Amino acid sequence: MKDRGAFDLLYRQTSAKLFGVCLRVLNDRAEAEEALQEVFVKIWTKADRFAASDLSPISWLVAIARNHAIDRLRSRRQVTVNIDEALEVADPSPGPEASAVAGGEAERIYGCLEELEKDRAAAVRGAYLKGESYVELAERHGVPLNTMRTWLRRSLQKLRECLER
Amino acid sequence: MTLAENSGPEWEGGDDIFAAEYVLGVLPADERRQASSRIDGEPAFARLVDQWELRFAPLASAYPEVEPPAAIKPAIDRRLATAVQLPSSAAPSPGLWSSLALWRGLAAAAVAALALYVAVPYVNPPVQAPQERMVATLAADGSDVKYMVMYDAHSGEIGLAHVAGERGADRDFELWMIEGNNPPVSMGVIPAGASMKMPVKQDMRDKLAAGAVLAVSLEPTGGSPTGQPTGPVVAAGDLRDI
Repeated sequence: MKDRGAFDLLYRQTSAKLFGVCLRVLNDRAEAEEALQEVFVKIWTKADRFAASDLSPISWLVAIARNHAIDRLRSRRQVTVNIDEALEVADPSPGPEASAVAGGEAERIYGCLEELEKDRAAAVRGAYLKGESYVELAERHGVPLNTMRTWLRRSLQKLRECLER
Repeated sequence: MTLAENSGPEWEGGDDIFAAEYVLGVLPADERRQASSRIDGEPAFARLVDQWELRFAPLASAYPEVEPPAAIKPAIDRRLATAVQLPSSAAPSPGLWSSLALWRGLAAAAVAALALYVAVPYVNPPVQAPQERMVATLAADGSDVKYMVMYDAHSGEIGLAHVAGERGADRDFELWMIEGNNPPVSMGVIPAGASMKMPVKQDMRDKLAAGAVLAVSLEPTGGSPTGQPTGPVVAAGDLRDI
């Protein structure tokens, strides 16, 4: 294969982050390892699309890994509620890294999340980081599925209005 | 507002909120598949998804970095060796895959571009992007025409891979270079087929290397009679360094 060097470099620079994404969403080491392999094959075959995206390279790669891991999660026959404590990130609020690296843009999404009601902001963050489904969110919040969906959609609209201000 | 009213995609939030739900990851498998195929087929929807990925991207800083086991990389290499040789069932145009050399070249070029972008912040001093090869994806709203382009400054040739979209009877696709606010300059009629190479005239090479926009217009057979595009622009994109 030509240009192996570039692919190896890409893998070295990004595999730990993308593996972190797969692990967090799938919460199963063997499955995350499988998913990571599929993610890099996808990156290879879809890399030309990066040119059409507004995302930074690492955000584009994380999006591929996240979406792939979530697709895998959704296609599991049963939802396994197997919380591996070692992988729990206690509070997905901004770490120092977030503010330091991304600066103003990053603060905006966090600021806008704070404008939402607390449990809705938590639902949005939880869904993003862990890939939780409407079904799981509805169960946890003890509301019907459609109510959950209405809540979340309204929260997303509020988020967009806030981010566009 | 009743529950039934706001459970479908026709809900007031429309495509934009559907895109947000996809990015957030809350949708069930069937709706994710639906969203995913719209991303592939509808550039406008793909853009909505891209914008939401952009908005949420800072949250990803909460993902920890975890070194994967050493056995993963060789396993990926083995899969790639197979993946680039076997046509994917999702391949839009079977002919495209018959030209493996060009496909591999484009895939490798795109990966090289990504690797460079990702690596640059870590490299000290900053490296200058090599100007040898550039890549572009040509597409446009409201059109299903898509080409991938690789420009090799060394050979002075443009390689095109036809991904999707037909030119129709008595029509040709013509390739144009647009530099700044200057009128488009024809690079010639794109030969029919899955993949092809087009030579670039000497005086256009420097302009291409400086990062021109490429566009494809639909013209009468044989190309524009006027020297300027006469039909709609069906695909366009920037050439990027790799």
